Amino acid sequence: MEASATTAGGGRSGLERSPLSRLPDQVLQGVLSALAALILILIAYFFIRLIGKSSSAFSHFGLSFVFGNDWDPAHEIYTGLPLLVGTLVTSAIALIIGVPIAVATALFLTELCPRRARGPLAFLVDLLAAVPSVVYGLWGVFVLAPKLQGFEKWVANTFSIIPWIGGGADQITAAGNYFIAGLILAIMILPIVSAISREVLRTVPPEHKEAALALGATRWEMIRMSIIPYARPGITGGAMLGMGRAIGETIAVVLVIGDADNLGHHIFSQGYTLAAVIANEFGEGSNDPPHASALFAAGLVLFILTLIVNIIARRFVTRGQRGQRGAGGGGDAVVLATEEGSIQ
Amino acid sequence: MTKIITTIAVAVAATVGLAACGSSSSSSSTTSSSSAPASTSTSAAKTTGGTLNGAGSTFAAPIYQQWGSNLKSQGLTINYNPVGSGTGVADLQTATVDFAGSDPALLPADKKAMKGPVLQFPVAFGAITVSYNLPGVKTGLKLDGPTIGGIFSGQIKTWNDPAIKALNPGMNLPSTSITVVHRSDSSGTTNGFTTYLTKVDPAWKLGASKLIKWPGGTGASGNSGVAAAVKATAGAVGYVEQAYALVNGFTYAAVKNGSSYVLPTIANTSLAATGVAVPADLGISTIDSKTAGAYPIVSQTFIDTYEDPCKDGGASSGTAAALKSFLSYAFGAGQATLGSGGSKLPYAPLTAPLAAKDNAQLAKLTCNGSPIS
Amino acid sequence: MSIQALPEISARRRNTDRVMRALMWVATGIALVPLVLVIYYLIHKGIGTWNSNFFTTDPNGNFFGNHGGIRSAILGSLEIIGIASAIAIPVGICVALFLTEYGKDSLFANVVRYFVDVMTGVPSIVFGLFIYIVLVISHVGGSGFAAWKGALAVTLLMLPIVIRASEVVLLLVPNSLREAALALGAPRWRVITKVVLPTSASGLVTGSLLAVARGMGETAPLLFTVSVATTLTGNPNSLMNTLPVQIYNDIKSPEPSIVARAWGAALTLVTIVLILNLIARAISRRSRLA
Repeated sequence: MEASATTAGGGRSGLERSPLSRLPDQVLQGVLSALAALILILIAYFFIRLIGKSSSAFSHFGLSFVFGNDWDPAHEIYTGLPLLVGTLVTSAIALIIGVPIAVATALFLTELCPRRARGPLAFLVDLLAAVPSVVYGLWGVFVLAPKLQGFEKWVANTFSIIPWIGGGADQITAAGNYFIAGLILAIMILPIVSAISREVLRTVPPEHKEAALALGATRWEMIRMSIIPYARPGITGGAMLGMGRAIGETIAVVLVIGDADNLGHHIFSQGYTLAAVIANEFGEGSNDPPHASALFAAGLVLFILTLIVNIIARRFVTRGQRGQRGAGGGGDAVVLATEEGSIQ
Repeated sequence: MTKIITTIAVAVAATVGLAACGSSSSSSSTTSSSSAPASTSTSAAKTTGGTLNGAGSTFAAPIYQQWGSNLKSQGLTINYNPVGSGTGVADLQTATVDFAGSDPALLPADKKAMKGPVLQFPVAFGAITVSYNLPGVKTGLKLDGPTIGGIFSGQIKTWNDPAIKALNPGMNLPSTSITVVHRSDSSGTTNGFTTYLTKVDPAWKLGASKLIKWPGGTGASGNSGVAAAVKATAGAVGYVEQAYALVNGFTYAAVKNGSSYVLPTIANTSLAATGVAVPADLGISTIDSKTAGAYPIVSQTFIDTYEDPCKDGGASSGTAAALKSFLSYAFGAGQATLGSGGSKLPYAPLTAPLAAKDNAQLAKLTCNGSPIS
Repeated sequence: MSIQALPEISARRRNTDRVMRALMWVATGIALVPLVLVIYYLIHKGIGTWNSNFFTTDPNGNFFGNHGGIRSAILGSLEIIGIASAIAIPVGICVALFLTEYGKDSLFANVVRYFVDVMTGVPSIVFGLFIYIVLVISHVGGSGFAAWKGALAVTLLMLPIVIRASEVVLLLVPNSLREAALALGAPRWRVITKVVLPTSASGLVTGSLLAVARGMGETAPLLFTVSVATTLTGNPNSLMNTLPVQIYNDIKSPEPSIVARAWGAALTLVTIVLILNLIARAISRRSRLA
């Protein structure tokens, strides 16, 4: 690929450009900034409407909306700790199971896979993203949950000394629980994390890899030393997208988590999530203002939860990025100078 | 970038082209009707004389969809969105639909939030079965109100509990533990079922509503979810609509009414409709019917619509006329599609007196004050 | 490939290497297992309904007998996704460009980033409800439920995914390429269109495809904004049938053959996303620079 060397309107060197030729740049910057601002306004408006609709629930329950352990629509009690815990638990399970497998798959496809098989296998993994969430939910209900009952009972009984993972074997039914929901979510976020990781891994400069190999590293050591650090920010970005999906997934979770209003005490208990409760109860809440407000408040809590987790993850990303940009090697200073100069 | 834009442009163009080709052969593309008289309400709903939009009860959805199919030859298109009774009523309150399907009768609070006076018309009835999965017990299980309440509130934990045994002498009940399956989504079926339990079980403390905080058991989404869960778990019991149970061959219990145990057949469901008290606004309830031989857990379903759809619902006069012909079909020829046997939908039809009351109320339907032809 | 002067690779290192590589093979296998199971299940349940009638007739609401096909659902879905993609993909890529090329670490850009991150976690149903409150109830545009409103809800769903994925990919374009172009005198906009975008094209396509796949399969944003329709219509200002809603409603039916139609529709949905995937990848492969 080449960078086109246009010497626009008059100057011999591109460093001196006429005001006219700056116009497209300014227009582009203006348009892009405007679009970004538009998105910001849209999201802010969304946020504000959400706050507006949920304010009555918060004014009624205050902080206990989040920390109270009783969700009881029939008695107009809307305190959502079971929902919050359910969201966190299922998303955590999804990330713990899904991200390592996704990254390992991406590594396999870019480094270890025989060249011929690369395309088809990558395509297959991406196919997971094509399946609609309702199908995942139904598959979970009809196939996964019944089939895994035996496995769950074995785990519950064998590890019964471990406080949360063991025990609760009597609650295992074919109707789903935290674990199944987390598993289904892991499957759903796999293609996202894997696809983005693959793109990231593909752009690792060959020099980095060759340097490690030339120094006598084994294949795995080369991956560990030169690929993973370079790709970490990008992979984290992909994982964050996956996490967003896990936190907000509605229909698949609704079908496989058992929808219990109570806080489950084991990984194999039925539970509930913030997103699932909105889906299930909105029919009722439509024409019952306190209930509707509580459901919007649940949406707002989801918002805030995603924000907090993303802030933490972003810190992780930008620290890596700054290092990476510096490693671009001296060219950064030139870029900055040019940019300051020509764009102000 | 250009390649991406090209791809998208091609895709959009292809889609629009296909849709245009396809829709040229259909008769129901809806356009904004300009014949709607000016009104204080919001602008005209998106319907011409040929299309009606409805939403609400999932229980009654097969009925309205079948009627839509039957009425298409008369030029009437019915779009019905089975989002649940609550949302259907809410949609009517915001006038985004022409009619709502609701299982429970409208509460005063519901009526107050409407844009104008509303008419509710009972349309059909369906039983709520107590379906179970108990290997070895295929038929003949008998239950009564307090026992059902005990099971679903978690007090009765095993199938060979003395309370169940007392009702089924001579039956070999295993000691399997009972797994209760209930609805987790907002549901008119839950409402009907729990209303029945509040009436017949003095120990029932969980209330009656579309959404209940169940003390235990498993939640499943929709009738199909409950059905699947019951089918997959030995020892499970759940409340499932009659259409489901009948079409899919479930095993269900006979429930005590008065002195006899009644099975949820269509005939026994119809009996619940006879002799029901009819208030002025036709907001009947067939739960816990005292008619002899009637199945005691029968739910009714209504069509709700504005008394003046043009003024309050923003409908055009063509839509109001379509609504009237739809409703008179509903209480007339449409009833013949319901019943037991062969190609009839598994719901119990209106009794003759009820149909007459519906037709009488239909005369109240006006468009901007003037009666509809 | 060891040089004389370098030490031999110890057994421990060699074994670690073998174990980790084996784990990667295993992980890929594990990733493919649910795929095979789900696809098999889908095909098993859905292929029986596929015939020419299935794709050329509309659902007709009959309870018994011939229920009709899913033509209106397929075309409705394509139209709505077409509109949503036409908005979300260009806008999303533009915003990502802004974030990587102009905004960088400024406060404004960071605020946009955080807000976009939050949007990725919003459940699809909340987008549907938002559009319901803002556009549907107030009958904007002269209609209650309308296809274009559903398309907007899907756009809201797709936008954060496109922005986030594109940003990740754009950040990976090496700065040296940008610098080289700038040093040769190319104005900023040329650097973007001739260097940055072509280099990241395949990644941008990936991100867009992820968003489209997500958008096509979501039911909740459509339930409250487009409602349901049985007959075929291309009019964006009316109710429209869509595949996810058709599946969602059919799957709840008591009649088993209608449930079977739901599975056939789900299989159709996956196939359509697949085909879109293949087309987009074929186009991007041709444009990818060595």
